[in-house]
Amino acid sequence: MITNLVIFAFLVGLLSGAVVVGASSWARALGLKMFWWKWLLSALWYFLLLFLIFAAFTFMGEGEVLAGWKILGISAVLMVVLGAGLARILLANRCHLKA
Amino acid sequence: MEDKFDKEKSSCSRREFFKIGGAVAAGLQVGAVAGAGVAAGKDPSTHTGWQHLGDNTQFVDRSKMIRKGPAYEVVGETLRPEMHESAFGRQSLIMRDMRQYREMIRSFDAGEDRQEGMGNRETIPQGEMAPETTGGEKSSGEGPSFPPVEAFNEPMLSWYKNRPDLYELDKLRVEEIMPGRRKDEEKYGEYYTLINAWSDSWSTHESITEPPEVSDFKIGGRRKLGDPVPFKSPAHAARLIKKVAHHFGATMVGITTIEPDWCYNYNLRGSEERGNYEVPKHWKYVIAFGVPHQWEQVNSNPNSGTSFDAYSRASIAARRLETFIKSLGYPARRHSPMDGYDLIAVPYLVKAGLGEQGRHGIAITPETGSNFRAAFVTTSLEMEIDQPIDFGVQAFCEHCQICADICPSGSISKADSNEEMDTRGYRHWEINQTSCYNFWMQSMGGMGCRLCLIACPYSRKSNWLHSLARQVDSKDPTGLVDNGLTYMQKNLFEAPEAHEYLPPPDGNFANFREPPEWLAVKNYLDIEATDPSIGD
Repeated sequence: MITNLVIFAFLVGLLSGAVVVGASSWARALGLKMFWWKWLLSALWYFLLLFLIFAAFTFMGEGEVLAGWKILGISAVLMVVLGAGLARILLANRCHLKA
Repeated sequence: MEDKFDKEKSSCSRREFFKIGGAVAAGLQVGAVAGAGVAAGKDPSTHTGWQHLGDNTQFVDRSKMIRKGPAYEVVGETLRPEMHESAFGRQSLIMRDMRQYREMIRSFDAGEDRQEGMGNRETIPQGEMAPETTGGEKSSGEGPSFPPVEAFNEPMLSWYKNRPDLYELDKLRVEEIMPGRRKDEEKYGEYYTLINAWSDSWSTHESITEPPEVSDFKIGGRRKLGDPVPFKSPAHAARLIKKVAHHFGATMVGITTIEPDWCYNYNLRGSEERGNYEVPKHWKYVIAFGVPHQWEQVNSNPNSGTSFDAYSRASIAARRLETFIKSLGYPARRHSPMDGYDLIAVPYLVKAGLGEQGRHGIAITPETGSNFRAAFVTTSLEMEIDQPIDFGVQAFCEHCQICADICPSGSISKADSNEEMDTRGYRHWEINQTSCYNFWMQSMGGMGCRLCLIACPYSRKSNWLHSLARQVDSKDPTGLVDNGLTYMQKNLFEAPEAHEYLPPPDGNFANFREPPEWLAVKNYLDIEATDPSIGD
């Protein structure tokens, strides 16, 4: 049965290709020296972001709206902290950008 | 030179496109994940309730299908339907008239009862004529011969005179089709043993009025059991019984052996015997199963919920399963909320491996947590038994205490462990049943409480989030996940305080969650109702 969940999951999968290509373009444009472990760390950060959003909105969907907002708030703080750390790693030793 | 510049320009614009496209895709993906989360949370198929009402079931939007005018065009004199118009209804009238007809023929042939006015064939009233005078073919009255039209009483007599086609069809059924089916049954019947047992099960409706040595050996209160049908092995028997019980409505099924300590010592249903009775010898195995409450309703306990939805479904499943086993030739007795128990529920649920006994005294299962009601069938059918399980409930309950904190009557112990508890020689969590029952009598709605069932952190939906939490928790030996989940439960989820569930002035008849809209009086009924949370 095609439920709303199936449609959204299909959309998420469909957009993944564009996100990967876009990430590669951004890395080149910012002059990042990307290694496999940097890609892995970036992917983990992004998956964690999606996971927490999925969890928070699942709570909201099942009627636990307050719990959903609380998780979203905690997730935002966590992701900013982790994102800052990740940015320091990614931006270290990057190439000079062309004019 | 110009070509190179064009190439660089084109490469630059393609890269810009990928960058912008990637950023937009990431934004959309986050939105889609949020949408998927809401859909996962709302998905009615993740409700742990026995049934759900999804968009594609009974709530199809019919507004665009409406046509004008009455349901049917009136084309003549309208009449109410009579019993003899339907084939089912007519069959019982046919049987009645045939019995009368055969009896009459038998008495004529035997020369019995020739009382005044009854011994003369000419004096037999119309509709009760003997076959020789009305075209009947057999006179013994034992065979399947169908009486002639004139032998029927009203209203069949008039009906058959007007509808000779139906008379022929009824005659064909009684004289040829039904005897033919009996012969087929003799020849092929065993091939259909299981479907017959299944069908019998669904058609059972009776209450227990006789002691086990009588009622457990009769199907539908009448038919004696046949010879026991042999199973390939006890494992095959267990597998089949579990599958069938599931189809009858049981969500979880386990099998164990009888334990006399856990059979009540004061009443045996259907028996005059009171107290200290011997557990019937044919109660060797206990099939234990559980049926959850409807999800939205159980969340709105204690004042807008009921126990009876799961009670009813568990009892129906028990009744069906009992008949199924009996139809295979084995004695059986159901123990269910609507038909009564001769045994205690929770210990058998634990022994049959359905769950563990929690702080609130009831069983917690891996599938539906505490949100379920139990029923049982005792039988002599040999089956492979299940073992008790451990998925971390004992350790979890020791530090959780959410049920104890939320209990309006304070009936649930807040002790650190159950080590000091002794119930008839067995150690397990116990509650103060009397204060619990006293709160039942205070609560509104469908009477009772069930708050501890639904406040239990294990009683959550079966969506990906809660299933993941349960899986991870059961595999964590450190207790960190336990603590994390309990902390989240206590701090992220809002729920009224214990006293708020009480009647005014101490509380305001609060519920754990708001009742579903279909249980809100203001949405459907034109009556004046005072909301206790607002007051007069």
